[in-house]
Amino acid sequence: MNDQPSSPKPREPVPVAVVGQFSWGLTILFVLASTCWVLLPYTGYLFSALVFLMAIVLAGTRWNRGPVLAMGVVSALVWNFIFIPPQFTLHIEKPQDIIMFAMFFVVALSMGHLITRLREREAALEQHHREREDLLAEKHRAELLAESERLHRTLLDSVSHELKTPIAIIRTALDGLGQGNAFAAEIETANRRLQRIVENFLEMTRVDSEALKPRPDWCEISDVLHAATTPLQKELSQHPLRLHGTDDLPLMMLDSRLLAQVLGNVLHNATLYAPAGTEIEIHAALTNGRLELRVRDHGPGLPMGTEDHVFDKFYRAPDSPAGGTGLGLAIARGLMRAMKGDIEAHNHPKGGAEFVLSLPVKTRQP
Amino acid sequence: MSKALIIDDEQQMRRLLRMVLESRGYEVCEAADGQLGLQEAAFQRPDVVLLDLGLPGLGGIDVLKRLREWTDVPVLILSVRDQETVKVEALELGADDYVTKPFGTAELLARLDVIQRRRFTRQSPEIIAGALKLDLLHHEATLADEPVKLTPTEFALLKVLAEHAGRIVTQNQILKQVWAGQSSDPSEGLRVHINHLRKKLGESGPRIVNEPGIGYRLEA
Repeated sequence: MNDQPSSPKPREPVPVAVVGQFSWGLTILFVLASTCWVLLPYTGYLFSALVFLMAIVLAGTRWNRGPVLAMGVVSALVWNFIFIPPQFTLHIEKPQDIIMFAMFFVVALSMGHLITRLREREAALEQHHREREDLLAEKHRAELLAESERLHRTLLDSVSHELKTPIAIIRTALDGLGQGNAFAAEIETANRRLQRIVENFLEMTRVDSEALKPRPDWCEISDVLHAATTPLQKELSQHPLRLHGTDDLPLMMLDSRLLAQVLGNVLHNATLYAPAGTEIEIHAALTNGRLELRVRDHGPGLPMGTEDHVFDKFYRAPDSPAGGTGLGLAIARGLMRAMKGDIEAHNHPKGGAEFVLSLPVKTRQP
Repeated sequence: MSKALIIDDEQQMRRLLRMVLESRGYEVCEAADGQLGLQEAAFQRPDVVLLDLGLPGLGGIDVLKRLREWTDVPVLILSVRDQETVKVEALELGADDYVTKPFGTAELLARLDVIQRRRFTRQSPEIIAGALKLDLLHHEATLADEPVKLTPTEFALLKVLAEHAGRIVTQNQILKQVWAGQSSDPSEGLRVHINHLRKKLGESGPRIVNEPGIGYRLEA
């Protein structure tokens, strides 16, 4: 009951609780009046006035203003009518009784008013306090979150630095050794593999922590393809790329860096599983505001029932060749979803695995 | 003989870079942190600076800002970070180009060569980038002596790219120089004109390579 709003909104019906308070107030007054009536011969008529005042004060500590003020008015009238001589008239004879009646009226109303106002202020203060605390807690939470994000990024940056520096040193040193050394070539292959693993782990962490914010801009699909295939020149030298429909695409609004990374991972996956010399096809199409890229290889295809598992973190198909981390496709899916798109895999009816990348894009005709 | 200053906190990296550069005839000086790097830059007056972005203490970006307060020595950013925003920030603060670690030696040396070709000391009203020639006097472009018909915007765009031939130019830098806030969606216009330019330059001409999230590089 303490939480009754201090000023109920006009269009709302009078709350049931308030109606209850009115009837309770009248009942209490009735009981008190009867008791005082019985005790009147022993106590005199002033006693009942004090009893009424006490009831009003007590009611003020619990109830709303309306019922309390009504109690004040009713009790003043009841006191006058029943107790002040001459009884059972509203007429008052003695001047001091008139003054007392007026005083009773004023005291009852102002007590009721003051006490309910006090309570309302208390409630308002409490609410204000609560809101403030909620606000502070919210702010604190946001600060913690920002701090943890910052820490995360710093950690990621420093881990990235620590892991990539030795790889960079090996790379530069190998370049210094020059071409033609078979042992150096083996180290280089291993180093490239290590680099891919490290990059995949870091990227997976980034995807997992949702620290990834796509930054779409206008781009051409040829730029995406270029960025995706450049780091894979060595792997793709064994697999001729065949493009379909890429020349017909308009400018599209998307994060070309992320899409290139996804495409790169899918292409790399294809080069791992398809036998050397086989083609990799990319079919591009734009339908209903969605860009769809189908990457099909001519390898053995996905083992039955693994079509969706290939996107699981660390999942590696049985009999996978060495050199993968089981993260490339998981990252691809994470990135596609960060861009509000998705990636799926299935076997092409004519053999080979087919990966379908789709994402919503804004377009413009060239 | 060019003098190169390497600012990198990894001793091994510095040693290796020194070997690579010295084998190419560079005179090399080194600094292990940003503060020392700034002192060395003032004291040694290098012809080119190789600056690691991930320096402890005074960071690479800050070193670059301080360097640019008094010198326009060519700066090549060495970065292991793959966050495009940091690279773009460095480039727009006046770095000339970047390589991402791990980088190939050939790539590094090529970038160093390109950024040391003086930038704006044009003595003739001509820009030559491989087979491409831009006549700034008559606003004419020729590719292997064949005229190429360009619109004024395309010419301005190609001019910016050719002036920086072999070097990355960020999208903002291009937009500022060519569009200067005239268009409501300049990035869109940029793509459209790049597309047209690529078609006009053909398969055999210089290639305009996009580096996603960063900008364009004209490879002549």
